[in-house]
Amino acid sequence: MKTDAVAMILAGGQGSRLGKLTKQTAKPAVPFGGNYRIIDFALSNSANSNINTVGVVTQYQPLVLNEHVGNGENWGLNRHKGGATILQPYSSVDGEKFFKGTAHAIYQNIDFIDMYDPEVVVILSGDHIYKMDYEAMIDFHKEKNALLTIAVMEVPWEEASRFGIMNTDETGRIVEFEEKPAEPKSNLASMGIYIFTWKRLKKYLKDNAAKGTEFSDFGHHVIPTYLRNSEAVYAYNFEDYWKDVGTIESLWEANMEFLDPHHELNIRDSSWRIYSKMQNTTPQQITKTAEVHDSMITDGCYVAGDVEHSILSNNVKVGKGSVVKDSVIMPGTVIGENCHIEKAIIGENANIYDGAELVGELGKIAVVGNGEKIGGYTDED
Amino acid sequence: MKTKYAAILNLIENEKDLLPLTKRRPVASLPFACRYRLIDFPFSSLSNTETRSAALFMSGSGRSLYDHIRSGTAWGLDNLAGGGVFTHSQIDLKTTQEDSGKYSADYYNDHINYLKKSKDEYVILSGSRILVNLQIEAMFTYHLDKNSDITVAYKKIPRDEVRQDTIYSSYQLNSANGIEIEKVVPLKEIPYDSRTVAFGLDFLLARTEVVLDYINKLRAENLFVSVENILKLAIENNYTSLNGYEYTGYLKAIEDIKSYFEANMDMLDEENFNALFYRESPVLTKSKNSAPTYYGKDSEVSNALFANDSEIYGHVENSLLSRRNTICQHAVVKNSIVLQSCFVDEEATLNYVILDKRVRVEKGAKLEGTPEQPIVVPKEARVLSSGEIVEG
Repeated sequence: MKTDAVAMILAGGQGSRLGKLTKQTAKPAVPFGGNYRIIDFALSNSANSNINTVGVVTQYQPLVLNEHVGNGENWGLNRHKGGATILQPYSSVDGEKFFKGTAHAIYQNIDFIDMYDPEVVVILSGDHIYKMDYEAMIDFHKEKNALLTIAVMEVPWEEASRFGIMNTDETGRIVEFEEKPAEPKSNLASMGIYIFTWKRLKKYLKDNAAKGTEFSDFGHHVIPTYLRNSEAVYAYNFEDYWKDVGTIESLWEANMEFLDPHHELNIRDSSWRIYSKMQNTTPQQITKTAEVHDSMITDGCYVAGDVEHSILSNNVKVGKGSVVKDSVIMPGTVIGENCHIEKAIIGENANIYDGAELVGELGKIAVVGNGEKIGGYTDED
Repeated sequence: MKTKYAAILNLIENEKDLLPLTKRRPVASLPFACRYRLIDFPFSSLSNTETRSAALFMSGSGRSLYDHIRSGTAWGLDNLAGGGVFTHSQIDLKTTQEDSGKYSADYYNDHINYLKKSKDEYVILSGSRILVNLQIEAMFTYHLDKNSDITVAYKKIPRDEVRQDTIYSSYQLNSANGIEIEKVVPLKEIPYDSRTVAFGLDFLLARTEVVLDYINKLRAENLFVSVENILKLAIENNYTSLNGYEYTGYLKAIEDIKSYFEANMDMLDEENFNALFYRESPVLTKSKNSAPTYYGKDSEVSNALFANDSEIYGHVENSLLSRRNTICQHAVVKNSIVLQSCFVDEEATLNYVILDKRVRVEKGAKLEGTPEQPIVVPKEARVLSSGEIVEG
């Protein structure tokens, strides 16, 4: 079955910098923006870019992710051919297949990609918030006759040393790649989005595996090797909103930005919808005692307290007399009466008992893990 | 695959008193409580049981209903292994009847064929415009306990809780045992006061062979297939043991604009809301992709229900808003129902109003209805600043 492009979403990362929030959940499955999980952006971008075959490579705590993605139906990916497929490590006669790195994860799934015999493979990470037309990037890749195209964006110079930095010539060809350089020569940072001509990448992956050469990571091994062998590697400029949500602070910030009705992402744009697994739940109940300002609220919520500049995900309850400010409350969490929550992220299905206080500050956002219980009676008094 | 119940939903119902809301949709697909349609309630009751298929009998255009139901997957009525939703549009029903005074042979055959093919042991027969949260399994247990041939559901309500000229009936129960149904009395023949009546829920449960037998009898007498007609035949002919099952939950018969409005407004009361929505598994509906609803910096919302995908910048009080609505700054929406995709511009005021889908209310427009007669703005209409309603 010949397909133009197969997308591979690398969703195996543990996301340890998200602390409690990723204790039982892989980072791409972390809720975002009230109604979504982080991976919805990569999945929806794929569907909107007419890429109907998507492999989701999982490894760490995959249960929530598997349940969320299913067969891709919610993204319109459940086609007769292709669709979304969860790819988990499996063991075979060659031994165990746990992924040792980004490129290794692709190597382990060569058989999957070969089933569709695509011209190009689009490599995505499941932990970024953005809208991007991968089809336009594929066109660019073909136009340039590239073997590898890397999506890049300008980052502030002072932050450039945190990224993989590309130095390009005037045609956009990448001539040098430096992983987290101390003294960056450009501010074009890799977004971790790659388009490879599949035939060539497959050969590299197989040959290096046969020789036993370390070739497990795109940033450390694959890109440097391509450049060393002077393959055609191009940078594709991306100028719209893009946010890495790998830390508590950036996750909180991205949610607060998302709240703005004039946000660049324009979540209500029907021509580029962000899809998610829809919940069967009740309407939003806003009672007589509630005050809601500058906030996003999702179906299944019950609000009897004050909610200001915050996001309430599906099925969140906020009791009478409670104040929720500058915070992100993830699905299923119950906040009792007379609580004070400010500058906080509260994980899924947590319980905040009556009268509890949870106040963070900029640079030190308060976090409650999934299923955690805060406040309530203690034996001490 | 053999399951327990085959369900027949009779949606050939009088829609006149719900105009203009029913101009292009059957009563069964009337939107309710921001994110549902009336048919979601019987379907969700079925989905909690071993039911894999349902047959719908409707008249006229079922487009909005087909669009909502699709294959029935949302309610577990999959089209796998003999399941699914079978729709029978009876466009010919009336003309045939006018020509010969008879219902067409197909009308009865469609019922019989569906029941024979489904091979289910029991049949549920129901309408869709009486809003209830009925636990079918509890009724089934009662049916077995009482060794009934036919069980029908009723609720004790004050007579004047439903329209004076209601089409529904009450059941007269045997005074000795309190459960056997002796007579079906049309409610409009009973004085309009607060006396208690056993209001029939238009909901029947019986073994398949019993129902098949009655469909043949209805055919012989050229009667419409309905709970009421089956009961009448059964009582007249002393055919079977016929028992009533008392339902005690939320009930509203949606017969006209007023009762439709009241049913929605009832949901603003937490007790009613919970009576209808708080159940073991959720009320299921066709879910649509959506973003959360945004409430603006100066929005004022109080005692209201919302669905996803709206933007609220104005004042919303005692109201229900469906998806994709925009309420602009300084607009006031009170005691109103706003269906999907409406736009209410700045400084507009709505009080006791129902906006059907895709209505545009222009700047400063003012509409003032009453609890008895809410103003209904038809689908795609424009409400000009002067308050004049221009149909779209």
